[in-house]
Amino acid sequence: MNMGRSIAALSISLLTTFAFAGDLTVDQIVEKSNHVSYYAGNDGRARVEMVITDEQGRTRNRRFTILRWDEPAADGSQVDGDQDFYVYFDQPADVSKMVFMVHKHLGADDDRWLYMPSLDLVKRIAASDKRTSFVGSDFFYEDVSGRRLEDDTHELVETTDNYYVVKNTPTDPSLVEFASYTMWIHKDTFLPIKVEYVNREGEKYREYAAEGVEQIQGHWTVTKSSMKNLDTGSTTVMSYSDVKYDIGLDGDIFTERYLRKPPRNFLR
Amino acid sequence: MSDTNAPASGGLTTACTNRPRFVTGVMIVATIVLGLLAGIPSLWPEKTHEVAPWLNTLRVDTDPENMLAADEPVRAFHHDAKKRFGLHDIVVLGVVNDTNPDGVFNTETLGDVYALTQYAKTLKGEAIGEKDDPEAGVVRVDLIAPSTVDFIENAGIGTVRFDWLMPSPPKTQEEALAVRDRARRIPFLNGTLISDRTDDALCLYIPLTRKDLAHQVSVRLQKKIDELKGAGGAAAENKYYITGLPVAEDTFGVEMFKQMAISAPLAMLVIFILMWIFFKKITLIIPPMIVAMVTSIMTMALLVISGKTVHIMSSMIPIFIMPIAVLDAIHIISDFFDRYGETRDRRKTVIAVMHELYSPMLFTSLTTTAGFASLALTPIPPVQVFGIFVAIGVMLAWVLTVTFIPAAIMFIPESRLASLASETAHEDEANSPLGRWLPRVGRFTYAKAGLIAVLAVVVMGVSGYGISKIRINDNPTKWFEPAHPIRVADRVLNKHFGGTYMAYLELEAPPVGIDVTSYAQGVATRLANKLDEWKDTEHAQDAVDATTHELTTLAEHAKTPWGLLADTQAYVQNKLDTCPDAEYDAWSEVSDALGVERSAFEVFKQPEVLRWMRDMQDQIETITDDKGAPIVGKSNSLADIVMTVHRDLLGGEQSEYRVPDSPAAVAQCLIQYQSSHRYTDLDHFVLRDSSKPEVDYRKSSLWFQLTSGDNKDMELVTEALESYVKSTPPPDGLTHHWFGLTYINVIWQDKMVSGMLQAFLGSFLVVLFMMIILFRSALWGILSMIPLTLTVGLIYGIIGLVGKDYDMPVAVLSSLSLGLSVDYAIHFLARSRNMRAKYGTWKESVGPVFGEPARAITRNAIVVGMGFLPLLAAPLVPYQTVGFFIAAILLTAGISTLILLPALMRFLEPLLFAETAGKVFTCRCGTCVVTSATLLALIAVNAHQFLTGRATIVTWISLGLIPVFAVACFVASRRKACRVPTVQGEPA
Repeated sequence: MNMGRSIAALSISLLTTFAFAGDLTVDQIVEKSNHVSYYAGNDGRARVEMVITDEQGRTRNRRFTILRWDEPAADGSQVDGDQDFYVYFDQPADVSKMVFMVHKHLGADDDRWLYMPSLDLVKRIAASDKRTSFVGSDFFYEDVSGRRLEDDTHELVETTDNYYVVKNTPTDPSLVEFASYTMWIHKDTFLPIKVEYVNREGEKYREYAAEGVEQIQGHWTVTKSSMKNLDTGSTTVMSYSDVKYDIGLDGDIFTERYLRKPPRNFLR
Repeated sequence: MSDTNAPASGGLTTACTNRPRFVTGVMIVATIVLGLLAGIPSLWPEKTHEVAPWLNTLRVDTDPENMLAADEPVRAFHHDAKKRFGLHDIVVLGVVNDTNPDGVFNTETLGDVYALTQYAKTLKGEAIGEKDDPEAGVVRVDLIAPSTVDFIENAGIGTVRFDWLMPSPPKTQEEALAVRDRARRIPFLNGTLISDRTDDALCLYIPLTRKDLAHQVSVRLQKKIDELKGAGGAAAENKYYITGLPVAEDTFGVEMFKQMAISAPLAMLVIFILMWIFFKKITLIIPPMIVAMVTSIMTMALLVISGKTVHIMSSMIPIFIMPIAVLDAIHIISDFFDRYGETRDRRKTVIAVMHELYSPMLFTSLTTTAGFASLALTPIPPVQVFGIFVAIGVMLAWVLTVTFIPAAIMFIPESRLASLASETAHEDEANSPLGRWLPRVGRFTYAKAGLIAVLAVVVMGVSGYGISKIRINDNPTKWFEPAHPIRVADRVLNKHFGGTYMAYLELEAPPVGIDVTSYAQGVATRLANKLDEWKDTEHAQDAVDATTHELTTLAEHAKTPWGLLADTQAYVQNKLDTCPDAEYDAWSEVSDALGVERSAFEVFKQPEVLRWMRDMQDQIETITDDKGAPIVGKSNSLADIVMTVHRDLLGGEQSEYRVPDSPAAVAQCLIQYQSSHRYTDLDHFVLRDSSKPEVDYRKSSLWFQLTSGDNKDMELVTEALESYVKSTPPPDGLTHHWFGLTYINVIWQDKMVSGMLQAFLGSFLVVLFMMIILFRSALWGILSMIPLTLTVGLIYGIIGLVGKDYDMPVAVLSSLSLGLSVDYAIHFLARSRNMRAKYGTWKESVGPVFGEPARAITRNAIVVGMGFLPLLAAPLVPYQTVGFFIAAILLTAGISTLILLPALMRFLEPLLFAETAGKVFTCRCGTCVVTSATLLALIAVNAHQFLTGRATIVTWISLGLIPVFAVACFVASRRKACRVPTVQGEPA
């Protein structure tokens, strides 16, 4: 559907930066891809409209704002390391002001918190499995915060005119529900434009697509993405607006204290 | 003997005897053609579909749901609701280990359970032989097994943990026990996934895309189980039970064919043996057997060609047709040998026999046909199909009997016939045990007529009492014999679990009744009232004023209250996104207030609604069956989900196992519930669609697990709900509708009871009407109905007295037996009238009547009655019930005909054999009145169908048949032979 349009848009930009392609190793490809997908700028914010549509065409909506802050390395330099996320919900109205916060650690389990305003309750969520639904959508927590590169082995299965096709196989299959997933990483932007997940029975059961890509503050940014669960027939579309990078977030915001007292200046 | 009769029977018989080869040829060709038309499409469905798409293949239908027409409202609702809540038919796989001290919670058993679950996930598409539909089979996402469900627990201070219950096979005993302890804490799993009574059992629930795949799936599961058990060790201790309604239904189909393959040929054999005992002449038994076989083949072929399905009822068609088909032939052969000695000319004898028997045979066939055709009056499609096709078969048998039997006799050389005839002299017949014993019965009926009449009245009284005690109940699982694996699984699993029979309840909020203008005013007022609370918030007044203004403006064009609210919310959201920081708090408050307005439409987020649900479930769970055992072992609802999540979010104490106090808190618990591996599970409990506020969170489904599939128990559950709703009305005027197969069974049972009563009444009236026409007397007509009325009353009285459930087979019995059992009375009365004319008084006639006529009736009763007994060898209980009771009814009807009728005739002699003109006039006047009354009642019973229910095509056919019968009876009875039935060649 929108795939075609995005490919067309991307093809144009491809002409300008064609010089790169060709000599990268698969590790370099996935590292670059991981970087553009999750580490654009030092921090960022986006408003997300989420629509979950089930097999029977029934919908559920969510609206939230995501703040992201990359923890600087010990020497103060920016690396693709630990990150913090702060997700603030406005819609539906009855979950308004609910906050979900993640401290993503590359070397250890993530820390996750949840604030439920109507129960006036802050809860830590024990790190166990990141492959559970993100607030009832077809996206998993891991899709929102990113999957560690070293959790998979990567294999460049094909290089097409526009894409590096990379197959990823989990190093510990018992921790995940998939047998492998294949990413179509755009040669120019390094954004995965399509990801297909295959289960242990060898069937494709889950499909991600970047349906809209824009360059924002010099960063290629997915502004619309979809995840389809082929087992249930349910699809979730996330549309991003008001995307801004380097808004000057500070690490303090990503603490329990701010769960009850949202940092309005950054959320608005 | 009358000449007017000759063209009807004589001409036909002459023609048939002239061209026996032609008659036989036509019969063979017709059978082959029908057989091919039915057989070819079933054997080569694809090829036939290309060449002749109008041909139907054999379709087997084992679905009890089809007891209701597809457009039946209850059934349509069931399907809609199942779709609405994404519910599937389920194969239940029980695992029991009662030897290990920790039951099933040991590493070996759980390892096997894990392997089985993984295997079950692969059972779809090609793996189960469904090449064309890769999605057909197990619905993976809804599979309930230890490795496919989540648990939630409190994991230390301020921490909550969500994870797979058993992500991989446990490696240590501690891990195995942890699976148990975690599942035990989750109300949804305890009593469903694992036994809530012992540690010995757990159950996997394997949902299917279509229930007819159950057999494919369960066969493969069983193979895998055998493989696992074959590995030996501790695994061999595990016992596995596969059950669930889809399995029962599929197994049922297999057993149904067994029935047809065993019982029908067995019936053939029994009839053959009985006829051999009675006639001892193989040559003569063969033609009736051919009639029986050809009729069965043709009728079943017609059933297939018509595109009707082979259902539990229609699978019994051959076994019904066979005994009925030979009856007329028995009369012909019996009579043929009585006369053959006189002429030694087979053609002349056959013509004479056919002449004499033509109308009695036509009448008995017509009454039998009427009895079966009346089943078309029932509102149950499979019963209608059964009735219609047996009726067709009976008439087909009659046609074959009057054409083929005379033709067949022509094939037997005169010399052979002469030797056969000389073998059996009359004296032998009279000296047979039956021949010696029956006259004694005759004398007894004359001597003790008073005693017999009194006994009959007593029997009627006792029967009436018994009938009042009848308990209406059915349970498709009990259609299998007690030792059948499905019944065993049913007993074992219902002992360990909250119940394996699912009944679903949909609760629905009524449509919102408020108009847009008053709604806008209401919202404005509630916003204004909030201002007090918001007095510290800057610009609150401005925000409320602006919102109220917007609300009033939008109200002019808004179509629905929620449409208006959505537009207003969009306006406020825009303000929130764009307003200066100083106004943000005010807009935020307004936005929240509108959010509360929105969730007011979401009825199933309201705490008082969820609490009412749980209280109602508690109440329903207390009800018990007639033995004091709980019926509903467990129930699951949205309330249970919210309470469980709430408990574990708030630290896991049982005191927090409750519905939180605000709709928003409920919503936040539900968001957590969805943040799991099985995030679509919520759809099974509540309808969500934010694009349609008129239904969003306004329909909810509750699951009740019943320990028994007995309709009477399901009825107790529905009654308990009604009385609870009456005493404790639900908030928001919620309405309720049951669905699920356990409930559907109750509905078709109700239809069965009322429908069968109607069918019985209908066929009783048709037969009575025909009897009056036949005997041209109301008294004779009523008299002929007495033995079968007494018999049916007695049998149903006994059913009531012994406490046998009045179920589907019992319900159909009355109509089935009516048309058959009246035959004895027809023969008895016709012969008696004849003898009375010959001998002058009843006293003198009793002896001759209890000679050959009584012998023929007794033989017939034995042949037909015993002919149904092979149904006892069938593997399914309904067949056995039908076989036993039909045999009982037919034998009892034979006995009561031979005992009660002569006794009554002794008393009624002056009226029955009135000789004066005046008496005849009175008699005819009464006849006229009774006839009209019968006819009127008949029309009323039929019209009732159209006034209250919908007319089906079959009902129209039945209605059309009635005048046909009437005309046929009338024409037949006008003949002098009927008016004064004289039977020639009777022994003196």
